[in-house]
Amino acid sequence: MQVSATASVGQLVPGGLGYLRPPAEIELAAYGVDLRGLRVADIGAGEGRLALGAARRADRVLAIDPDRSALARGRAEAKRLGMRNITFREGAAQSLELADGSFEVAILSWTL
Amino acid sequence: MVDALEEARRILVDGGVLVDARPDSRVAARVRSGGARGTIIGTIGTQRETKTDDQLSDRAVRDVLRRGLFRSRRRGRIWHAIPFEDRSELQDYLGDHLRFSRRVSWRVPAAKRDGRVVVERAVRFEILERR
Repeated sequence: MQVSATASVGQLVPGGLGYLRPPAEIELAAYGVDLRGLRVADIGAGEGRLALGAARRADRVLAIDPDRSALARGRAEAKRLGMRNITFREGAAQSLELADGSFEVAILSWTL
Repeated sequence: MVDALEEARRILVDGGVLVDARPDSRVAARVRSGGARGTIIGTIGTQRETKTDDQLSDRAVRDVLRRGLFRSRRRGRIWHAIPFEDRSELQDYLGDHLRFSRRVSWRVPAAKRDGRVVVERAVRFEILERR
């Protein structure tokens, strides 16, 4: 697993009103994990802001959240973007109905 | 919280990584005048209840590290800049915010608070490797 030892610690990242989190690609780059070719689970994904960003590099992404309406918005956005490697699924972080050892990367972003 | 970390570990392959990222309530958000390089003219704290929740999250991460379920690969902090047209717009934002305190602790007199401001909030992250 490629994890950068130096990437972006202390970096200032842009945002904007109505978009109160850093852009996904910038946030993921700051974490320094190379997602290329990997299976990623975004747990507590909401409407998939970060999951959609991860799907630009990962092999496939599963976005999990208990909020059905947020998941529906995420699906719509993925469809609009023509992304086929991302799936949205209802679920809770405490009881994921997923097979053991099925992802290389799990993301808990603003979830714990 | 520990449950969520244990579930995340379960679905990871050996050597897989968990990204834990959260707002960092240990440091106050900074309010700058003008733009990202402007002078710091105020700070914004975190609501007490939210700080308590964050401390519980920290404790959960420490717990899984202590139990050897993960090892920490790296940790750090990024600063996320959010622009506002003026302090009135900032105050509206703070009015219904779930994490930030409702008021800015200003460092400068009212006469020097006009114009655009940028809030820089800290986001902490840790990369945990499954063991």
